[in-house]
Amino acid sequence: QSLEDCRLDEDEDAFQALGEEDEDIDQFNDDTFGSGAVDDDWQEAHERLAELEDKPAAASEQDGAGGDDADLLGDHEDTLAERLTRLVIESELEDPAIMQAVQTRTSAQPGGLNSSIWDSSAVLRRIRGPLLTQEMPPVSVLDYALPQRAPQNREEERDPSERALPRRSSSPVIGSPPVRAVPIGTPPKQAVVPNFNQQILCPKPVHIRATMQQRYPAPYGERMSPNQLCNVPNSSLLGHPFPHSVSPVLSHLQRAQLLGGAQAGRMSPSQFARVSGLVGSPLPSVNPKLLQGRVGQMMSPASGFRAFFGAPPAPPPSQPQHPPGPGCHLQSLRPQTQMFRPDTTHLHPQHRRLLHQRQQQNRSQQRGLNGSVGDRGGHRGSHQEQMRKDPYANLMLQREKDWVSKIQMMQLQSTDPYLDDYYYQNYFQKLEKLSAAEEVQGDGPKKERTKLITPQVAKLEHTYKPVQFEGSLGKLTVSSVNNPRKMIDAVVTSRGEDDETKEKQVRDKRRQTLVTIEKTYSLLLDVEDYERRYLLSLEGERPALVGERKQKICDMYDNLRGKAPRQERPSDDHFVQIMCIRKGKRLVARILPFLSPEQAADVLMATARNLPFLIKKDAQDEVLPCLLRPFSHVLYHLPLGTVTSLVQQLTNLPQSATAPAPTNLHLAAVLQNKFGLSLLYLVLSRGEELQSSEANAELLQDNPWTELMLLATRELLRVPQVALAKPVSPPSNLLSLFSRYVDQQKLNALETKL
Amino acid sequence: AGAAADPLRSLPSLAEKHLVLLRDGRTLIGFLRSIDQFANLVLHQTVERIHVGAKYGDIPRGIFVVRGENVVLLGEIDLEKESDTPLQQVSIEEILEQQRLEQQAKHESERLKVQALKERGLAVPRADTLDEY
Repeated sequence: QSLEDCRLDEDEDAFQALGEEDEDIDQFNDDTFGSGAVDDDWQEAHERLAELEDKPAAASEQDGAGGDDADLLGDHEDTLAERLTRLVIESELEDPAIMQAVQTRTSAQPGGLNSSIWDSSAVLRRIRGPLLTQEMPPVSVLDYALPQRAPQNREEERDPSERALPRRSSSPVIGSPPVRAVPIGTPPKQAVVPNFNQQILCPKPVHIRATMQQRYPAPYGERMSPNQLCNVPNSSLLGHPFPHSVSPVLSHLQRAQLLGGAQAGRMSPSQFARVSGLVGSPLPSVNPKLLQGRVGQMMSPASGFRAFFGAPPAPPPSQPQHPPGPGCHLQSLRPQTQMFRPDTTHLHPQHRRLLHQRQQQNRSQQRGLNGSVGDRGGHRGSHQEQMRKDPYANLMLQREKDWVSKIQMMQLQSTDPYLDDYYYQNYFQKLEKLSAAEEVQGDGPKKERTKLITPQVAKLEHTYKPVQFEGSLGKLTVSSVNNPRKMIDAVVTSRGEDDETKEKQVRDKRRQTLVTIEKTYSLLLDVEDYERRYLLSLEGERPALVGERKQKICDMYDNLRGKAPRQERPSDDHFVQIMCIRKGKRLVARILPFLSPEQAADVLMATARNLPFLIKKDAQDEVLPCLLRPFSHVLYHLPLGTVTSLVQQLTNLPQSATAPAPTNLHLAAVLQNKFGLSLLYLVLSRGEELQSSEANAELLQDNPWTELMLLATRELLRVPQVALAKPVSPPSNLLSLFSRYVDQQKLNALETKL
Repeated sequence: AGAAADPLRSLPSLAEKHLVLLRDGRTLIGFLRSIDQFANLVLHQTVERIHVGAKYGDIPRGIFVVRGENVVLLGEIDLEKESDTPLQQVSIEEILEQQRLEQQAKHESERLKVQALKERGLAVPRADTLDEY
């Protein structure tokens, strides 16, 4: 009884507090020594209280099986009220704030508690109310969920709750940043909906425990901080397979309203299930749509919201709470004309275009579907819509996106893109040339090839100066990436010839050849690059460049043929070695255009001389044909004499006395190989060209060429057709060539062979 | 000189559905919510899609946080073209069953191969342990 007197008023002052204390002391005394000890057994009281705690749980479980929500909730709330009052009486809570809260709740109980928190159907009704009106206030879904629009008891309930709860911004929540006036998730171009914050910051229900507040972040679209989002009760999210992702949404919102007091936990799971049960069945129908994305950018939370409001395509009839107007609600919720243009400047132009196209399509779709909806008011509407469509879309701030982009772009910085990114640059140059060519010819819509414009960094020549410390004795060096410390003394020693075995020698020789190839390749790349450098360089530098180029070419040639400055060049050995390696052959093919005619002829001769050997070595690689084109180019510049000797080399005619006739292995090998044969034809046709172009009569007579031809044709006749390889391209004038030297019959035979 | 215009390699639009291929061969589809410079991804409402032959099945997975090194590729899904596929969607049980059968068949053929090689006295080729796919 004495405790009842200590019901706290709103304006409590120190005096009263003191009075309370006295009364408490009296009570204590009473309990210990006086009537309380004798008459009033605290143990019994405690037990009674314990019973009461069990009772609502039991009651709810029993009733949970069947029955209405309304009844159950009604029971529940009564017992809760009772329990609360008893708590107030029995407890020895000293915290004035808590006491106050409890008092105010119990006082507000008759009106507020009933209708607002515990009655879910009422909640829904209230939610639906504003929605059905034409004039839709531009607020978020959460505002619907938190029934503030509704009149009556809202007001009086809100005040005490607000007073009871410390404001979000001042509460000492660890780790969360201070609340901003501008919600973080808002895209920069958007104006902010001001009343957002408060409503979300102070979610409706009065709750005693400060910790509970953590569980009511503004979940959707209003991101307070990553911490808070994490605080979203994961227990409901974990272990829920995808289709149930909607229910946590519900639970939040439901809990936000339904939770009352310290007995928050008393609301049994079945309660939640019932309340959220109204969306149980729509879920399967909603779910398949979620991934198929048929409704433009419809996202689960958004659809979850819709489901929450009971607006699925097929509303289950069994649910009494189902709002009557799902369709019209849906329509009113459906995204309006999208005024909002997100910031897409960081996107690729093509991407941006696609995005806008898609947006336009969506817009037109929606307009078609939703003819009645007018323009719902600029920026707010679009922000709303974005929130509705995908509340999670702005989890990454624009700032963060830019930051990641910046990092990626930094990786592309280079002072010499031609060097660092050769293939990419070349590829795009080629494409540009192609499209330029197309443009010149054609009319058609030019396919836009926008390329990534990488950041260009000016080339700065730094001479690195190692750090020097002032006032230190001597020079202290700090080793760094630019100034590395010498760790090892590596001395190069060349091995003596005697120690090596034959194998080793062979291996070394091959290695040597490989090294030569590599060196020559570097030279070649440099030489090939000269044209570009020439264009980029200044006038004064150009002669120097030209000189350099010449020198390099000479070096290359020397490398190829093997430097033997003293002697003649009798051995083709070096060259042959190079030619045995696949890379070497390609190297030669690339070098040939740069060589002078004499040098090129020399190379050609060497090739022809050693052709059978090379053919044998090339059996696996089959790279020799790559030489055909450069060889043919070379041939165009050769005089007849050279050509004659070439043919000689190729066919090995006339044969030396030692070689047994009728076998001409050399020729046979040449003829049997594609490359060999093609080369032979090329040479022959060249000879023929030269022959026919020159009008000298003397050519017909005592001419090595003629003799050679006679021999050659004889040989060709002798060779069985089967043995002949297929040439790359049969030259056209061979027939006329042969016609000079053989009669018709043989000519026909030759023809068939070709 | 600074960067002149829009980077091509920009961040994907973070409101579209994305498909991620992981190094272990899994295919995830979900809404990309966050990305960083290592290609660590946060996927929302993720679905793991299993393909067997011309059929596929989706297993809902929730929220995924993927470490960047495991990402093979990431692409945006064109929602219009998504429904335009010759593949047939089946239930999860069925696709798992199909997958199991496929695995079985593969193991069987592998076993036979190894056996045949052994019989001929040839070495068994060993897969690289670092990258299986």
